[in-house]
Amino acid sequence: MEQIIANGLYLGAQYALIALGLTLIFSLMNVLNFAHGQMYVFGGFVTYTVVVQLGLPFIVGLFASAVVLAIMGAAIEKFLFAPVVRRSKRDESTMLLAAGVAFFLDAVILLFFGEKQRGVPKIVNGVLNLDMRIIMPYDRILIGVLAILLIVAFIAFMNYSRTGRAMRALAQDKMAAQLMGVNVSRYSMIGFALGAMLAGLVGGLLVTITGVNLGMGGPTSVKAFLMIMIGGAGVISGAIAGGFILGMMESVGLTVLSAYGDITYLVIFASLMVFLAVRPQGLMGKPWG
Amino acid sequence: MTKILSVENVELYYDHIYALKGVSIDVAEGETVALIGANGAGKSSILRAITGLRPIKSGQINYEGQRLDGTSAAEVVRKGISMVPEGRRAFPLMSVKDNLLMGAFTRTDKAEIEQTLENVLTRFPRLRERYNQQANTMSGGEQQMMVIGRALMAKPKLLLLDEPSLGIAPKLVQDIARAIVAISRDEKVSILLVEQNSRMALSISNRAYALSTGSIALSGNSKDLMNDDRIKAAYLGGEL
Ligand SMILES: Nc1ncnc2c1ncn2[C@@H]1O[C@H](COP(=O)(O)OP(=O)(O)OP(=O)(O)O)[C@@H](O)[C@H]1O
Ligand SMILES: [Mg+2]
Repeated sequence: MEQIIANGLYLGAQYALIALGLTLIFSLMNVLNFAHGQMYVFGGFVTYTVVVQLGLPFIVGLFASAVVLAIMGAAIEKFLFAPVVRRSKRDESTMLLAAGVAFFLDAVILLFFGEKQRGVPKIVNGVLNLDMRIIMPYDRILIGVLAILLIVAFIAFMNYSRTGRAMRALAQDKMAAQLMGVNVSRYSMIGFALGAMLAGLVGGLLVTITGVNLGMGGPTSVKAFLMIMIGGAGVISGAIAGGFILGMMESVGLTVLSAYGDITYLVIFASLMVFLAVRPQGLMGKPWG
Repeated sequence: MTKILSVENVELYYDHIYALKGVSIDVAEGETVALIGANGAGKSSILRAITGLRPIKSGQINYEGQRLDGTSAAEVVRKGISMVPEGRRAFPLMSVKDNLLMGAFTRTDKAEIEQTLENVLTRFPRLRERYNQQANTMSGGEQQMMVIGRALMAKPKLLLLDEPSLGIAPKLVQDIARAIVAISRDEKVSILLVEQNSRMALSISNRAYALSTGSIALSGNSKDLMNDDRIKAAYLGGEL
C-alpha cells in the first residue's frame, strides 16, 4: 500500500509538471499543444547529450533542457502559432498546426538523436528501504523531490510575480489584460516558452530513470491530455490534480491489475469515459485559477 | 483650458456596421465630460477607438498634442489613459489585491505603487475589507469600485469610464457618482464618462455630448443640457 502511494506520488509529480505546461499554453492561447509529448522527449535527449556525450554534470543537462525547450517554445509560438491565431478564427487551425509540429519534432528528433532508447547513468546510487514497506531507489526520490520543487516554484511564480500575474490576467480576460498594458503577443510567447520548458524539464528528469526514445512523444501527449481532462483544462489546480490522479492510477494499476495482463490503460480510459460523462468539465472546470 | 484629448471626425466600422459616422469630441485638462446616448449609439465604440482596441477608418485622435490613433491598447495605457470597460471586466479568479496590482502593471516603482494602492484602499474602504477575496464572489457594486480602483492604479491623466452604473443597485449608483466627483477633485485626472443614466452623468459632468446612431446630436454645458427640452424628451423622460 505505502509502496503504491510512493510510486504514485513520484510519477504524479512528473505528470503534474507536464500537465501544467500543457494547461498553461491552453489557457493563454486556446491552443491544444499536441506536440507537448515530443517536447518532453526532446528535453530528455538534450539532457542525454549534455550528460552522456559531453560528460557534463546532470544539473547542467537539466538546465540545458530547460533553455533549449524554452527557446524552441518561443520560436514555435512566434513563427507558427501566433501567425495562425492572428489569421484564423477557427480552433481547428491551431489543432492541425500542433499536430504538424508534433510530426515535425518527431522527424527532428530522429535526425538529431536517432531512434535508439537513450538513458543517463544513475545520478545517485542506493535504495531506500523502510521495513520492506517502501522500497525506493534514491535517484527516484531525488527526481520526485526535484519535480515537486519545480511545481512549487511554478505556482509561486504564477501567483506572486508580475509576469505570472500578467499571464493569469491574460488567461482570464484578454481585453482587460490589454487595457492594463499587457502585450498579448509577448506574453503568449512567454507562456508558450514556459510551457515547453516544463515539458523539457520533465524529459530531463525522467531520462535518468526510464530513459527516452522517439516513440514516447505521442503517448506522452495523450497522457497529458488525459490529465487535463481529468483535472479540468486551463486550471493550475486541475493540472496538478490530474497529474497526481493519473500517476496514482498507473501505480495502482501496475501493482493490482498486472496479474490480469497489461490492462491498466484500458481500465483508465474506461473509467475516464464514465467520469467525463458525469463531469465533462473535469474536476476543477475552466478557466485559469 | 488646454485640451488633453481631441477626437476629430472619427469613423469606425465593425465588418459592415457603420458605428461612428464622423464623431468629434474633446476633453480639456481637469474636466469631466459625459457622453450619453441610447443603446447602440456608438458610445463604447468611441472609447474603443481612443484606447486602440478597435482601429478607426478615418479621422484622427490626438492626446496631449500628439497623434494617438494607431497606438496599440497596451501602449495607450502607458501614455496615461486608463479605461474602465463596459461590464466591468474584473479578473474573475483573482483577488481584489491582484486585480488592483494588475492596474499598476505598467509601473515599476514599488514604493509609488504602494502609495497609490493605499490611496485607492482609502478611497474605497470596501476594497480594504475584501482585499483577499476573489473578485467574482463580490457584488456588482463592489466589483465596479474595484475596477475603478484598478484603473486608478495606473495613475492615469485621462480616465475613461464606460457605464459604471450599469447593473448596479440604485443606492450604489449614488456612491459611484460621488466617487467619480471625488476622483475628479482629488486626482489630476480628466474624465470621459459614458452613461445611459443621463441624469447622473449630466449632474456630475462639466460638459456633455449626446450621441445618436454614430453622430453627435447635441453638445454643451451639462447644466444647460439638463434643462434642454430635446435632452429631456430623448434621454431624461421617464428615467429615474
Ligand atoms: N464587436 C462588434 N461587432 C459588430 N458590431 C458591433 C460590435 N460592437 C458594437 N457593434 C455595433 O456597433 C454599434 C455601436 O455599438 P456600441 O457598443 O459603440 O454602442 P453603445 O452606445 O456603447 O451601446 P450600449 O449602450 O448598448 O453599450 C451598434 O450597432 C453595435 O451593434
Ligand atoms: Mg456601450
